[in-house]
Amino acid sequence: MAADLSNTFAALADPTRRAILARLALGETTVTELAEPFAMSGPAISKHLKVLERAGLIARGREAQWRPCRLKAGPLKDAAGWLEQYRRFWEESFDRLDEYLRELQSKEKPQPKEKKNGRKK
Amino acid sequence: MAARSSAAMQPAERELVITRVFDAPRELVWKAWTEPERMARWWGPRGFNTPVCELDVRPGGAIRIVMRGPDGAEHPMTGVFREIVKPERLVFFSAALDEEGKPLFEGTNTVTFSEQGGKTTLTMVARVIKSTPKAARNLDGMEIGWTQSLERLTEYLARA
Repeated sequence: MAADLSNTFAALADPTRRAILARLALGETTVTELAEPFAMSGPAISKHLKVLERAGLIARGREAQWRPCRLKAGPLKDAAGWLEQYRRFWEESFDRLDEYLRELQSKEKPQPKEKKNGRKK
Repeated sequence: MAARSSAAMQPAERELVITRVFDAPRELVWKAWTEPERMARWWGPRGFNTPVCELDVRPGGAIRIVMRGPDGAEHPMTGVFREIVKPERLVFFSAALDEEGKPLFEGTNTVTFSEQGGKTTLTMVARVIKSTPKAARNLDGMEIGWTQSLERLTEYLARA
């Protein structure tokens, strides 16, 4: 069965967690190293890491002190890929809608060039 | 010239928001969304066509669309209209189906139309209810891209 993407989306909703993932994309690292750029305590970072781990986005080593963090790409690809595809579906459809509307209007009634209408809001 | 467009992802809510300005009166844009023969003209990515497009435009009315890709593969979709407020708001549930007719993803789409000075601003909010990783591969022939803050990260992933 296909995995539900809910956890992935929830994990990605937080900017700190996205930054952590971006850092991990450069390579495996430790919690201490991860915490550095965020001006955050170790425990605070650990919380984020737990969320990411539960979402299957990262894996952590076993060694008690060191516990290196590593990125797992699968769920991320699924999530980003899916939304991106869906967005593109609509964007491309809307491109075609735009063309279609132009075509209709040039046929139905040759319109005078757009009249400036002041701004009304 | 080209219509302005913006898109944003809100991962937490699994929402996709797309805004587009069309150089056409709202009434016409509305027709393009609610008359099957008109919708079939623009539905789907470039290179796709829409051999089946059935819209029963009333609350509870069914939507049935079959899209055909450049490779000849068919992508069926079903849906139900939830809310119709002519000519300003359209809400429909939709599900894209795989080759066995099972849903790949399901979502609710809210489309609003507003007109200023002869142009129509369309805002579409697509809220995902359910999706499967397979859905990402549903639309063959479409280039896979990456967005926003994930961009650099995913470039790396693509190479990894």
